[in-house]
Amino acid sequence: MVMLIQTPPEGIYDELFDENNRVRPSCRMLENWLIKSDEDVLAEKRREADVLFQRLGITFNVYGEDQGADRLIPFDLIPRVISASDWHHLQAGLRQRVHALNRFLFDIYHDFDIIRAGVISAEQVFANPQYQPGMQNLKLPRNLYSHIAGIDLIRHNDGDFYVLEDNLRCPSGVSYMLENRRMMMRLFPELFAQAPVAPVEHYPALLGETLRAASLKPNPTVTVLTPGRFNSAYFEHAFLARQMGIELVEGADLFVRQNKVYMKTTVGPQQVDVIYRRVDDDFLDPLAGNPDSMLGVPGLYAAYRTGNVVLANAMGTGVADDKAIYPFVPEMIRFYLGEEPILKNVPTWQGRKPKDLSYILDNLPELVVKETQGAGGYGMLIGPKASKKELSHFRSLLKARPDNYIAQPTLSLSTCPTFVNEGVAPRHLDLRPFVLSGKKVQMVPGGLTRVALKEGSLVVNSSQGGGTKDTWVLEDDQC
Amino acid sequence: MLSRAASSLFWMARYLERAETQARLLDVSLTMALIDVPEDREEQLSVPLLVTGTQEVYHELYEEITPQNLIDFLVLDDRHPASVFSVIGSARDNALHVRGNLSADVWESINLAWMELKELRHKGVTESNASRVFDWTRERSHVFRGAAYGTLLRNDAFNFLRLGTFIERADTTARVLDIRHHMATKSLEGHPTQSFFEWTALLHSLAAFEAYQNTYGHNIEPMNVAELLILKRDVPRSLHACLQEIADLLEQIESGEARRARRLASSLYANIRFGDREYIEERGLNEYLTDFLERIERITGQIQKDYMGW
Repeated sequence: MVMLIQTPPEGIYDELFDENNRVRPSCRMLENWLIKSDEDVLAEKRREADVLFQRLGITFNVYGEDQGADRLIPFDLIPRVISASDWHHLQAGLRQRVHALNRFLFDIYHDFDIIRAGVISAEQVFANPQYQPGMQNLKLPRNLYSHIAGIDLIRHNDGDFYVLEDNLRCPSGVSYMLENRRMMMRLFPELFAQAPVAPVEHYPALLGETLRAASLKPNPTVTVLTPGRFNSAYFEHAFLARQMGIELVEGADLFVRQNKVYMKTTVGPQQVDVIYRRVDDDFLDPLAGNPDSMLGVPGLYAAYRTGNVVLANAMGTGVADDKAIYPFVPEMIRFYLGEEPILKNVPTWQGRKPKDLSYILDNLPELVVKETQGAGGYGMLIGPKASKKELSHFRSLLKARPDNYIAQPTLSLSTCPTFVNEGVAPRHLDLRPFVLSGKKVQMVPGGLTRVALKEGSLVVNSSQGGGTKDTWVLEDDQC
Repeated sequence: MLSRAASSLFWMARYLERAETQARLLDVSLTMALIDVPEDREEQLSVPLLVTGTQEVYHELYEEITPQNLIDFLVLDDRHPASVFSVIGSARDNALHVRGNLSADVWESINLAWMELKELRHKGVTESNASRVFDWTRERSHVFRGAAYGTLLRNDAFNFLRLGTFIERADTTARVLDIRHHMATKSLEGHPTQSFFEWTALLHSLAAFEAYQNTYGHNIEPMNVAELLILKRDVPRSLHACLQEIADLLEQIESGEARRARRLASSLYANIRFGDREYIEERGLNEYLTDFLERIERITGQIQKDYMGW
């Protein structure tokens, strides 16, 4: 049977069709393939992909859900295409943004220029629960804080990309970017022969390079620190460690002696210079953070303060990806770099400002309200989709703790044709490219595309039933 | 390498070897129960319980020893750690811990075994399809070994994995030989016609039937069997073959300082390598094997202390 592709609803930017329902030039090859494909063959390929992912063990756990153990993140066969010129623009914008964010982090732990200049209030920085006073005046190699950043982008119906969120602590998902590509190349090798898709496979090599550059030692010993196999991203931690050829350690594998960090090996202690940690700040050292943490290493913080070990990312980066700091990122770019921001920010109202708060309360049904500390799509309200009960619940939350919340207009995330039960239909998606800062700022062309599988849904988080797609950045738009 | 990773690799391989053993033992016991005289049936069926030391747990959970009960208990029951289900689950748990040290092929061989086993468990195993499940278990073990030999870097991760395999194998051979040799010898007096089957059961349990025929011909002599499974270096499951590997591996594994495990293993290996059947006969097989099992246990404890005991 020949494929029928549902066209997108009006007023929404679709990645495949333009406003006149004509296929965009960069997607012609893809559409051509799709309409010529046999539905049964593709259904067969989808099953094959599921089996392969299960076998690889690319599964994740959903917190607080028992039978959620070993669940697959749904993988959609239809790739999301980004034109060469779009990527060119995104790449420049991401470099600029991450550079400014790292400058900001250095500043708020050293000179406080941005606060002195009155761009951001002292209270907003220092009273932020993610701010780590212990990081003040600590000299870090290359003044880098967020070595690995994941920037969440969406495309609005004006066709422009907007930054939705910066993830500067332990952004995850990059293994899906890599495995999705591997899967597509395995299932549809013929497609890659025709399309000039930019490779992403060198990400682990770039990550390794970035982590080694995080230390000033000539040949540093680098490890990946994981909370353990019950963590939802354990697969990714193991995957990256293996791809980089370095040890995957848990807290219990490390110990600190005379402010140096060692791992316990079969030939005795071996000093560790760089820790790519996938454990949150608070759990890294039970002596400094959460005393009940079984995931951390006692004494790690002291070793870090002494400069004997590098953490990637640094401690205290969370203050810069907080939703309350987000509205100031464009100002940061102007302040530190003297440049105009290349990527747009979503207009944001802050609950902490009385004027903004009353606007939020007056317009709640049209807005998206987010907790400043929330992540993973938890603790958020999507006004237009919310029931009366949910609206009044959030109204009281907002009144009780206004500084805990920000609000944004409900953006229409762009759509892309996606396999669903009824055939191929448009579904909303976002994009998370991964930006690496070492000797220079680097990234592979692409990222993780997450897709909301329910019709009309705007929540793409895997913990809320979202899926993923392969992301194709084209090397050349002329095809 | 990380001490914890060494330990996980060691146990992962032990558990997978154990799964294969369970399948062989059970397969043989069920067959023997069919051809044995009725009064000895229960004794036949008890062998896998004796080898794994699970009689007590078994009797807490089941009243009678029947083939189906035994299959339920040793293949699918997750209430004790010795069933094929528990053992492969433990192997996968350990594999998850060391995914960073495993090739994709090795990981997939274990993960796939676990997925298929869950499916098998869902469908259920009965006397009529049990053989197929035993075949499946053996094949899974072969695939794992093939993937390990074919794709793993020859480093200490590989050495610890192999160490687990051979420690488990040496231990199993000694236990099975001890129990089944005694049974077969006893049958020589009671049911001489039956005894041929008893000896072949012993050899089949350790995949050594063809090896025996090749070495000694058709006549099965009790001391030949003991010699084959203890002293013959070219029999893959003999104590000699296992100890040679263990001693070799401990030589190869990088060690920071003098290691006691290495000395203990070399000494046991020398005893077997230069041992002869007269000595075993003189000492008595049971006493010889009991001593061997104690020494294997000591070596295992020392390996853990030397390399994994942080």
